[in-house]
Amino acid sequence: MLMISPKMASGAQDKQYTPSLLSFFIYNPTFGPREGEEEKKILFYHPSEIEKNEKIRNVGLCEAIVQFTRTFCPTKPAKSLHTQKNRQFFFEPEENFWIVMVVRNPMIEKPNKDGKPPTIEYQEEELLDTVYGAVVRQCYSMYKLFNGTFGRVMESGGVELLIQKLEKFFYRYLQTLHLQSCDLLDVFGGISFFPLDKMTYLKIQSFVNRVEESLSLIKYTAFLYNDQLIWSGLEQDDMKILYKYLTTSLFPRHSEPELAGRDSPLRPEVTGNLLHYGRFLTGPANLKDPEAKFRFPKIFVSAEDGYEELHLIVYKAMSAAACFMISANVELTREFCEQLDGLVGPQLTLLASDICEQFTINRRISGPEKEPQFKFIYFNHMNLAEKSTIHMRKTASVCLTSVHPDLMKILGDINCDFARVDEDEEIIVKAMTDYWVVGKKSDQRELYVILNQKNANLIEVNEEVKRLCATQFNNIFFLD
Amino acid sequence: MEGETGKATVSWENGMLAPVDRLRSDRADSPTPGLVEGTEPGAGQQSAIFYHAQSYEDLTAQAEEEAQRAPGSDSSAEHDEEEFNALVGEKSAKERLNSEASSESRTKEEDVSSEAWRSHKKHVFVLSEAGKPIYTRYGTEEALSSTMGVMMALVSFVEAEKNIIRSIHADGCKVVFLTKSPLVLVGVTKSGQSEKELLRELQYIYYQIVSLLTLTQLNHIFQHKQNYDLRRLLAGSEYLTDNLLHRLERDPGLLLSAVTCLPLASSARDVVSSSLQAAKAKNLVFSILLAGDRLVTLVRKKDQFLHHIDLHLVFNLVGSSSSFREGEGWTPICLPKFNTAGFFHAHISYLEPGSELCLILVSTDREDFFNMSDCKQRFMERLSKRSAYQAMKEALKCQSYSVVQVGIPELRHFLYKSKSSGLYTSPEIPEVYQSDEEQERLMGLYQDLHSCLHHPTRPLRSFYRCGEAENLLAMVTSGFELYLCFSPLATKALAYSAVNKLLKWIRREEDRLFILSPLTY
Repeated sequence: MLMISPKMASGAQDKQYTPSLLSFFIYNPTFGPREGEEEKKILFYHPSEIEKNEKIRNVGLCEAIVQFTRTFCPTKPAKSLHTQKNRQFFFEPEENFWIVMVVRNPMIEKPNKDGKPPTIEYQEEELLDTVYGAVVRQCYSMYKLFNGTFGRVMESGGVELLIQKLEKFFYRYLQTLHLQSCDLLDVFGGISFFPLDKMTYLKIQSFVNRVEESLSLIKYTAFLYNDQLIWSGLEQDDMKILYKYLTTSLFPRHSEPELAGRDSPLRPEVTGNLLHYGRFLTGPANLKDPEAKFRFPKIFVSAEDGYEELHLIVYKAMSAAACFMISANVELTREFCEQLDGLVGPQLTLLASDICEQFTINRRISGPEKEPQFKFIYFNHMNLAEKSTIHMRKTASVCLTSVHPDLMKILGDINCDFARVDEDEEIIVKAMTDYWVVGKKSDQRELYVILNQKNANLIEVNEEVKRLCATQFNNIFFLD
Repeated sequence: MEGETGKATVSWENGMLAPVDRLRSDRADSPTPGLVEGTEPGAGQQSAIFYHAQSYEDLTAQAEEEAQRAPGSDSSAEHDEEEFNALVGEKSAKERLNSEASSESRTKEEDVSSEAWRSHKKHVFVLSEAGKPIYTRYGTEEALSSTMGVMMALVSFVEAEKNIIRSIHADGCKVVFLTKSPLVLVGVTKSGQSEKELLRELQYIYYQIVSLLTLTQLNHIFQHKQNYDLRRLLAGSEYLTDNLLHRLERDPGLLLSAVTCLPLASSARDVVSSSLQAAKAKNLVFSILLAGDRLVTLVRKKDQFLHHIDLHLVFNLVGSSSSFREGEGWTPICLPKFNTAGFFHAHISYLEPGSELCLILVSTDREDFFNMSDCKQRFMERLSKRSAYQAMKEALKCQSYSVVQVGIPELRHFLYKSKSSGLYTSPEIPEVYQSDEEQERLMGLYQDLHSCLHHPTRPLRSFYRCGEAENLLAMVTSGFELYLCFSPLATKALAYSAVNKLLKWIRREEDRLFILSPLTY
């Protein structure tokens, strides 16, 4: 992505480049141990048009770095390599399988006079290892969600199948990586929960129970409203990545028809089904279509004996979405889908408007919506709950934060500090721009607050944060 | 290459450039409003003593310059040759170094594949661009030659892509590379120290080596023979590097780019200074009086400034060698921040046997030993008549000062640096941090604070951290840097009010703690 920096007044303009993906590759050093066979190690390489020898060289460097680091640290593998121009992130998700992501440092191109080539200045301190390390791990988790482990594929179809699967998945997935908008939220990879009163929550729970009882094929259910999670029957780690997929990929792709008017051509055929607003986001777009295919994406989640493969049905009515997961051994038919549509559609429509109504009432009580007084990020490691008033909207492609990127990086720096020691801590810093940033870590929770009170002192800042904790987190103890 | 050498030669002829009125970075908002650079407690009344830059940032900038250095472009080749011979002719100095080495035989015989070797908190390696081992902190260079070969291979591999390797990060372990042609320095830390801090330490090691050989000679050697074994020239001097590494872990001065003074009544200090000033000679550039690791006074030639790094290298040289105790020492020393191309010659002697007071007279002339010896005599004659000498000896007897004297409850320790004078003060290490391990941990905490405040792109005005073992507060203004360490019982309110209280105390004591009126010849 290219942005023209406005600050140059001298006519010639500095060009500023944001961080970008230089390459992404997966290798297994045991696949081509002999000289001349190095190419066999490489299972996936993006960009694919890179010349073979260069691929081999770059993989060789990673192997050398990993090996060299073992001299000093036999148990903890190398995680990143910093160079002037880029950073490389290493991740070994399964034994001997290495994923490497190379990200170019942001840079400024300064034009030179006399037709000399422009000077390039690399900004080496801008990328946070924790953030991009988390991005690589997320890449793997997403692959695993849809394909299972590398080992599983190797067992079923050997290297050829693995190469095919990797190619198919990462070719598309890498295009959705937007490295310039990654920040602390990627480190947490948390789940935003929808705040709800007890009554409505019980209604949702009983809905889930009813559906699971009527359609006994359903193994797990998850319920979301407004891209926020309300109920999930999955393991936390599986839900975490599924949530990521739903909110950054599936839902954004399907949001347009809902925003469109009833008669808009964008809206899928809903004729004959005026009883409810329910529709399938995965599987058949229109049940009435005689050509409709009843194929759903398959996902892999952890089970007692390793993993299990499931059909993922995502069904949505207005802002409410329900995910139903059914063992992949079962073949899903038109009859089943019609049954599900008939049962879930009307109920979910009703539930969606109930939640909406409750939510509006609650909000009216707590005061009209306005720019949040406090800019903060909260994360709970125990239940993965996250809350941010800094991010207006975060999807894979859009990340609007209401604060300066440098402040976001200071949050990241504080987070790194917290990660170093396993004890409760509080950090309060004042940036050069006079913003105050407060980080608190207590038990398994982390809270980051940004305050724009230039003339405040340490004590006043502390009081402000206390006030925030009292209003937003009154039941959580933070070290004072 | 208008870089290092060029600049240095120019300044050598025209006198060191006076400290540039550094960009007064907009660090207003000091706790005492209106406190601008030069008026903070501890700021000298006249010009600064040191050519001091904004802490370590300037070092990193220079690394780039030097990386791009084109070989063979040194402007002062003739001069170098002369200096080269000077070094070779300096048999006595080399022999002294050698004897020193044998007496302090290093316990290096360590199995480099053992867990014990791996688990050292910090490794430092120096190698030539041909991958030849020059120095290792632990183990022997021979046993590590293949490891160092790999290091060099990594450096050159990345270089081949027109890129520069900086560091490798693993959980709980960092490897930092510094290429300073013709040398490559590699540091490995397991203590959670930041990359920037480790890099700063590698810079010091680099300058330590340059101070023994000059950069000109170093370049000269490797231009002639790329795979020269530099250990042949450095043999017997490893203890200097060992000691410097030890200092880097202990001495806050190296972290702050500053020097601390022996607390002494200003009247006494002024007498000592003026006695030194009177004992001048044609080629005498700096007269430095040390008390252990603390500066008593420094008199310099007008317009010549000593960089804090150079001064720390002198401290290290004096502090590491017991041979200077035996009489008058005469040794060549390159002060790399002054001029990487040539040697100064230092006359080093203790004022009395068994005393901590050590006088260093730095001359430009190799043949100046007797002149310097005479300077010392004149200084001693003058000083011994005055009561100031006694006062100084008294000051040496008592310990520096305890943090209790400041009168701030829960305050355990602090560092205060006056930016304009390049001097810092700090009380004695309190009981809780007395053990080696705890003292290093405290320094580690200060290093972390320093790193955060001086982040290259996201610097901070202040940093407060409240943890289970202690509460820390650090701040930077245009005039000073302050690092406070409180017990975990201290509140934020207490920490906040402590800043003003401490500044007032330092102002009251500044006569004693700092050198307020530095002199020139």
